[in-house]
Amino acid sequence: MNLGVLWARLKGLVRRRELDGELQKEIATHLELATEENLRRGIEPEEARRLAAVRFGSVASAQEGVWDERGLAGLASCLQDARYAVRGMRTNPGFTLVTVATLALGIGLCSVFFSVLNAFVLRPAPGVSDTGRLVTLEASVPYPYFESYRNQEGLSAGMAAFIGPVPFGVAVNAPADGKPERVFGHLVSPEYFSTLGVAPLLGRFFDPVQESPGAAPTVVVSERFWRMRLHSDPRVVGRALRVNGRQATIIGVGPKDFFGIFPSTPAEVFLPVTADPAVAPELAADILHRTTQPAFRVLVRLRPGMTMAATEARLDAHTREMDQQTGKRGPDRKGRQVHLVLAGLALPISVAERSLVVTFYTLLVALILSLTCSNLAGLILARGSARSREIAIRLSIGASRFRVIRQLLTESLILAALGGVAGFAAAYGLLDLLARVRGDSALLQSEIAFTPDLRVVLFAFLISALAAAGFGLLPALAATRADLAAALKASMGTRRSRYRRFGLRNLFVVYQVAAAMMLILIMGFWSSGLRNGANLDPGFDPAPLQFFSLDPARDGLTPSQSAALYTGLAQRLARLPGVESVTLADQPPLNLTVANRSVSVPSVPAGSRESVHPVAFLSIGPGYFATLGAPLVRGAEFSERDLGLDPAPSDILPAVINQTAAKDLFGGADPLGRRIRQDTGDVERTFQVTGVVRYDRQSLAVNRPVATIFLPLTRKDLRRGSQSGTIVLVRARTHLGDATIRRELASIDPHLTMFNPQTMREFLAATNRVVQSAVAFTSGIGLFGLLLACVGLAGVTAQAVERRRKEIGIRMALGARPPQVLRLVMREGAVMISAGAAFGFAGAYGISRVLAAASAQMAEIIAWSTGDRALTVGVPLLLISLAAIACYLPARRSISRDPLVSLREE
Amino acid sequence: MSSKLDLLQGTLDLMVLRTLVSMGPLHGYGIARRIEQLSQNEVLLNQGTIYAALVRLQNRGWIAAEWGSSENNRRAKYYSITRSGRKRLAEETSYWQRLSAVIGRVLAPSEGGPK
Repeated sequence: MNLGVLWARLKGLVRRRELDGELQKEIATHLELATEENLRRGIEPEEARRLAAVRFGSVASAQEGVWDERGLAGLASCLQDARYAVRGMRTNPGFTLVTVATLALGIGLCSVFFSVLNAFVLRPAPGVSDTGRLVTLEASVPYPYFESYRNQEGLSAGMAAFIGPVPFGVAVNAPADGKPERVFGHLVSPEYFSTLGVAPLLGRFFDPVQESPGAAPTVVVSERFWRMRLHSDPRVVGRALRVNGRQATIIGVGPKDFFGIFPSTPAEVFLPVTADPAVAPELAADILHRTTQPAFRVLVRLRPGMTMAATEARLDAHTREMDQQTGKRGPDRKGRQVHLVLAGLALPISVAERSLVVTFYTLLVALILSLTCSNLAGLILARGSARSREIAIRLSIGASRFRVIRQLLTESLILAALGGVAGFAAAYGLLDLLARVRGDSALLQSEIAFTPDLRVVLFAFLISALAAAGFGLLPALAATRADLAAALKASMGTRRSRYRRFGLRNLFVVYQVAAAMMLILIMGFWSSGLRNGANLDPGFDPAPLQFFSLDPARDGLTPSQSAALYTGLAQRLARLPGVESVTLADQPPLNLTVANRSVSVPSVPAGSRESVHPVAFLSIGPGYFATLGAPLVRGAEFSERDLGLDPAPSDILPAVINQTAAKDLFGGADPLGRRIRQDTGDVERTFQVTGVVRYDRQSLAVNRPVATIFLPLTRKDLRRGSQSGTIVLVRARTHLGDATIRRELASIDPHLTMFNPQTMREFLAATNRVVQSAVAFTSGIGLFGLLLACVGLAGVTAQAVERRRKEIGIRMALGARPPQVLRLVMREGAVMISAGAAFGFAGAYGISRVLAAASAQMAEIIAWSTGDRALTVGVPLLLISLAAIACYLPARRSISRDPLVSLREE
Repeated sequence: MSSKLDLLQGTLDLMVLRTLVSMGPLHGYGIARRIEQLSQNEVLLNQGTIYAALVRLQNRGWIAAEWGSSENNRRAKYYSITRSGRKRLAEETSYWQRLSAVIGRVLAPSEGGPK
């Protein structure tokens, strides 16, 4: 069809009414002219008219012929199909409602999953160009290493180094003593912005000449910071900002939506790595020239034509050279020294991790979608049998099979469209809710936007279409294959057709049970693993505890001032009425951790193999366990003297370990006085155990005690500060008001600001909320699977029994007793249900094995939860009994009817 | 076998174009009657089918339509052939002639042909 014809047809479509009128007039004229001619030949008027009509043929078919030529082929009949479908749906509102609701649930859930997936591993970091070519070294490296990489000819199309996220105390009203606000940012090398391919909205970005060491402090702010804090001031370039108590000149504003690389922890301010350590304490101790301080994350833009693997190999070779030059290691180290991971997403993630996540979510989506589809297919199939007469009539009066299938598919498409829209709306609401639940959690300083974007809309659209095809096609094929004569006679008992159609339906029942079982078990494993994590037993009484954070370096105090501040602080606060004790720590007490460092125990017979153990570290102040209310079982805790330590890397620090660590590291032996060695690759540190505490910290994934080593918080730590600031933990009989604390702090130093003040109870609740929302989410999906399975099973089995009503009637009339008939029906159901359950159980186990093999954390969760009897026995039992009930109820109804009534029915 | 000829695909269009060339602008009834006369009622044609052909030819730009008044002042749509319609007719005519010649040769009851 050429363009001219298409255009003419489109016009025909638009001017349909007008053209129809003209055609009618034309036909009328035609008939009159023919009649007149016949009259002229001397034929009787009535006969003349009749002959004219006969010669013309069917007016309707003439019109249809014209319609086929006019308008767009097929479109008109599609509209007709749609109208017919809508009419059908209106006459059967119950069916429509159930279908649309089921679809909405299914599509909504899939959209939610996809949004989460999208946010974590699909959506590129906003504002950054060509994110697919950005990678980063998994481990941080010393700055000289980065410089050396950068100077390699032809290694990359751009490289940058940064430290971040780093907190800054930023005050907008520079000269006035406006209280600084805690804002996160990146310390970046000059190539940072060019490597990311970002252009400034205002001003300029850093450059190697102007941002040389010793130059006046400069800062780049994000567009959001500029908009929210600087009121979109168009003349902002050149204005001063107080950063960590020092003046810094704003030289540029980033583009809209740009929050640095890895927007899961958005960066609002950017400072050059050449900044004075007074402004950025992270840069202290000449870090730019030290080869022993792996503090910088390196971003690499891959060279065109060079693969990630090739780049990794070159970086690896070069790193070995550097290690040798700096005398760190011999060339004999086995394995890759450098691992590249993807950098263009919300957070750094390795290719393998990404494909694992994608696979897992794809699997879930496929499972949910197929469950929804098989459910609806079962329903429609059941309805198809009821409609088989209608379809048979349409087929017998000449509709082509294709035409009828198209009609049925149009129906499912409309249903899917309705379900898709409703599902998307539901997903939007659910994500909004999720965001709000997560919103007030101070634990996760992350901002992963789950809000659906165009991708999600497209996805929802796609799966709706897929669903329509999935649940519409099979039943349509099955329905139109019906034996015409048999269907018209509406004889229910013809053996052949019953078995054939039963076959497909049986398959649906089996699949439904299997898919529901898989979904529920997998979600069950997951949520039960998480729930164990949520049952946090702090091991101490949280009631009298409260804490807040300080970060004096960001308030403009010098490192030695900051360190000195803490010595007096505890005593000062302890003098307040009601306060029992006060201590310090580098993180909140029950921070959910994983043992992500490794230590070894020097073996007693020197030279034998040392075993390596995973542990977590925590730095604490004097009297920490007394304040917490978790007494030591052996030894003593740290004292004021330890707080004053200023250890060299070679000094042996005292260490308190928890019982889990004692068991892991020393078995049954007495740990007191024993040594523990930590080798980070750069520094070797040795600790001597001075105490053992019962208190067990726990990991987020599984409620399992984590082997922990507690080190004394030293002057060195206090000078440097940490990302989360230093925690001041207070044990008081009565709650200490924020105002009291502020007053006390102001009397020490007016610039000092406290942040994140909270009671231990609040903190525990917030921590639990994160896990609980995850548990609620996964259990919700499991429940959804259960719901779907119930609806589907009830629908399909009920229909199957219903169709056999006549047969049952005959059996009863011939003298079968109710229990016999009941057994007959139930036996068939039982076979299908057990087959489905077996498949589902095997599938769920298979999948969890695969997942466990692919991810260590997953393995831990699954290992923990597959032992859960409530799940492995309860879920199958529950499902099987539900299915049995779905089978039993309609069967029961059939046999309790008067057989004559059943038989007399059409 | 039916005593009347079934129309081959596309032949009705060709006959309509031919009719319009020889008769000038004509309304639907006129075209139908003319084809019937020319074919001496050998063609199986419901007069109504002519209208689909007319729309098809119009869409392709081979004929044009205009409302006019007929004998005894009836409003009727008059169809006339366009320039590209004439060109098309010439092409189609030579095509048909070649095709019927070939068919005629192939089906001629000569030696080797079907008995």
